[in-house]
Amino acid sequence: MGKIYEPSLPKLMEAIAAEARGMKGLDRRNFLKGGVAAVAGLASVQIIPKASASSNLPPNLPKWQSHLGPGVVSKPYGEPSEFEDLQRRTVPWLTVDAASSISMTPLQDLEGIITPSGLVFERYHGGIPNVDPDQHRLIIHGLVERPLVLTMEDLRRFPSVSEIRFIECPANGGMEWRGAQMEALQFTHGMLACCEWTGIKLSTLLDEVGVKPEGKWVLAEGADAAGMSRSIPLEKALDDTIIAWGQNGEALRPEQGYPLRMLNPGWEGNTSVKWLRRLEIGDQPWHHREETSKYTDLMPDGRARRFSWVQEANSVITSPCPEKPLKQAGFVEIRGFAWSGRGKIRAVDISFDGGVNWERTELKGLVLSKALTQFSYRTTWDGQPWLLQSRAIDETGYVQPTLKQLRDERGGWSIYHKNSIHTWNVMENGDVFNVQIS
Amino acid sequence: MFRSLKSIPLVLVITFSAVASAGPLGIGSTATPEMIAGWDIDIRPDGAGLPHGEGSVAQGEGLYEAKCASCHGLFGEGEGRWPVLAGGDGTLDTLHPEKTVGSYWPYASTLWDYIHRAMPYTAPQSLTDEETYAISAYVLYLNDIVDEEFVANRETFARVKMPNEENFYVDNRPDAQNERCFKNCADPKTFEIVTTINGLTPTGHFKEDSGVAANHYEGNPSAASESGISKVMNNTKIVLSDKATVGKGVYDMACQACHNPGIAGAPKTGDKAAWVSRIDQGMDILNGHAINGYQGADGVMPAKGGNMSLSNDDVINAVAFMVESSR
Ligand code: HEC
Ligand code: HEC
Repeated sequence: MGKIYEPSLPKLMEAIAAEARGMKGLDRRNFLKGGVAAVAGLASVQIIPKASASSNLPPNLPKWQSHLGPGVVSKPYGEPSEFEDLQRRTVPWLTVDAASSISMTPLQDLEGIITPSGLVFERYHGGIPNVDPDQHRLIIHGLVERPLVLTMEDLRRFPSVSEIRFIECPANGGMEWRGAQMEALQFTHGMLACCEWTGIKLSTLLDEVGVKPEGKWVLAEGADAAGMSRSIPLEKALDDTIIAWGQNGEALRPEQGYPLRMLNPGWEGNTSVKWLRRLEIGDQPWHHREETSKYTDLMPDGRARRFSWVQEANSVITSPCPEKPLKQAGFVEIRGFAWSGRGKIRAVDISFDGGVNWERTELKGLVLSKALTQFSYRTTWDGQPWLLQSRAIDETGYVQPTLKQLRDERGGWSIYHKNSIHTWNVMENGDVFNVQIS
Repeated sequence: MFRSLKSIPLVLVITFSAVASAGPLGIGSTATPEMIAGWDIDIRPDGAGLPHGEGSVAQGEGLYEAKCASCHGLFGEGEGRWPVLAGGDGTLDTLHPEKTVGSYWPYASTLWDYIHRAMPYTAPQSLTDEETYAISAYVLYLNDIVDEEFVANRETFARVKMPNEENFYVDNRPDAQNERCFKNCADPKTFEIVTTINGLTPTGHFKEDSGVAANHYEGNPSAASESGISKVMNNTKIVLSDKATVGKGVYDMACQACHNPGIAGAPKTGDKAAWVSRIDQGMDILNGHAINGYQGADGVMPAKGGNMSLSNDDVINAVAFMVESSR
């Protein structure tokens, strides 16, 4: 095996880290925040007064058991425990302005395949519009028999569907085409989410307006400052596109297109136009900015792929990961997500040696088409270093490629659709680093 | 009997109007031509959607300078990190492809459509059709696609040919073919492990050393020996000023990621040749570039190295360290 990376943590840092490892949750976080100031010397570590937490441990009576808690509707809309640190996060240098930027889902904190609405990654090209649903309209026109204008109330009268589907930005992982850059799962893979979406099949709406025989494409346009617009072929529109108003059992969040969005299951997120205000049926695509200047894939010969819609099979190990290092030797369940824009996940394999040898994992829970799918592998870890990888196979037989295979085809400048096998380097001390094998 | 008789004409009326205008479920109202006209703003490569009116390159110049240049630069070169609109010819198959309107966009219609729907960034859909023609013409002119006499209107605009049009083709994935192999699938002897660049990722939420101006080199001898900059410093025994000494902590945290290895076009700290002409610009310009960020000939220097929590003084100290180490 080649050179194994040694993290360049100064000894002082390691000492602080070791101290912190003995603590849990908020204590640890507070400590770490304090730790920033404490770098100058370990002496200040003792000052942090969190040892009292132990009075809640057996055999003592925990303080929360010794009095009544708040009653019903103390929070009419509930929120996570204050001890949780669930946050979308961004990489500030990626983009020039927050209104045209991206934040990532904390995949490392997700439990199961549904991404809570408030944690779904964000991608805007002109910020979040504050749309009043009573004054929102969807116009459908162009090559149709009956151009319609629909209120939200009208839309809710149509027969509805609810489907669990992932949505992924095609730039997910795009920072890593030419080298490992991101030190955290949230940033290597977090432009990804999976929700239950409720709305109408677009085919139902198209039936209602009556598409003329020349109609072959649908232009979807948003009511945001970017006037986001994408050309969707009629085939997809009639297949599984949803016009959604619901997400995870409630109205869409403003960040996700409230009150109405398109959802093209399995396709790059940008096609799923949010704050949807208009659908135009035409006989040709429009070649708008988001399907020419952006969301096209530049190849090494200088030519570019257009209409690269599908998100090919992908997978990543979410535990362990840089944010969730291994803390104890012994039994460990390795967990992760796999997903494919072409359908169901058939299998996921795992390698501990950087892809030399592979084992089959077990799929867990629901295995749905175009949805996050959990996989699991039980093993023991005795402090040996690992080059951990996962490899997804979807129902079409497609096998997730290696980074080298992708680079051989596409070079390093195509930005989008990097779905290669990912490598975590698990160190002897259980820390996990993002590395690439080339 | 009486009631149903009364209701017969009503039923008939409803049925008739339904046949005339409603779909299978009869939901929604007719979108009138006026409603559609207000919202139907899209333009297609064949010119469909282009409105009446016209605008010249000459008219576009003043409008562009007033409404666009603050972000995109006087010549479309992009101010700071705002998008570049012009240049990049012949770069698409190189290791530094620059995708601009002129070098990359396949259709001029996209430019009209996009400027009209989304620009200026802070005031979308504020331009008139004439203004959009004029500014689009000017952006094409900045890209040497039309000459300065060009007047854009429905006819002339739809005829503009973009140089890169032929270089787009429909997605042909799946391309990379992997096999579901289980044993001896790769040769570990050929492995080269590429590690993550430290310092680019916000990691304060889980990592102990993040956001800390740690002294990586002193604290960890093995890292020091790998670091080009320490070598330089050891060889030449540079004595740092107080400012630079403080700045080194900032540098380690927020700048070394790019400036130690020299990635993405960043001048390597300690590489005199890379710094001579930069240093000649004077400290004010260097500090300004480091604080506000800029797009140079070699790459993008993000404002404060991307770490907006740094104060201006932090950055100035870091620049002092870089300059003193590179003289
Ligand atoms: C306040 C800064 C700002 C101003 C002023 C501005 N733009 Fe932009 N422009 C942007 C940003 C930011 C983007 C990228 C938006 C995105 O990420 O989707 C952009 C994108 C563009 C693009 C697409 C670039 C590409 O390669 O895809 C064009 C063309 C453009 N602007 C033209 C104009 C014109 C013409 C004007 C003046 C009428 C203008 N802009 C004014 C900030 C600005
Ligand atoms: C993400 C990579 C990156 C990071 C991080 C980064 N720089 Fe830079 N820096 C660059 C690049 C690229 C250039 C060269 C741009 C050019 O001239 O084309 C540069 C150039 C510079 C210059 C030379 C300016 C000039 O006018 O020639 C200075 C000074 C500088 N950086 C300071 C800093 C400081 C201070 C930090 C940390 C606070 C920092 N950089 C962090 C990429 C980076």
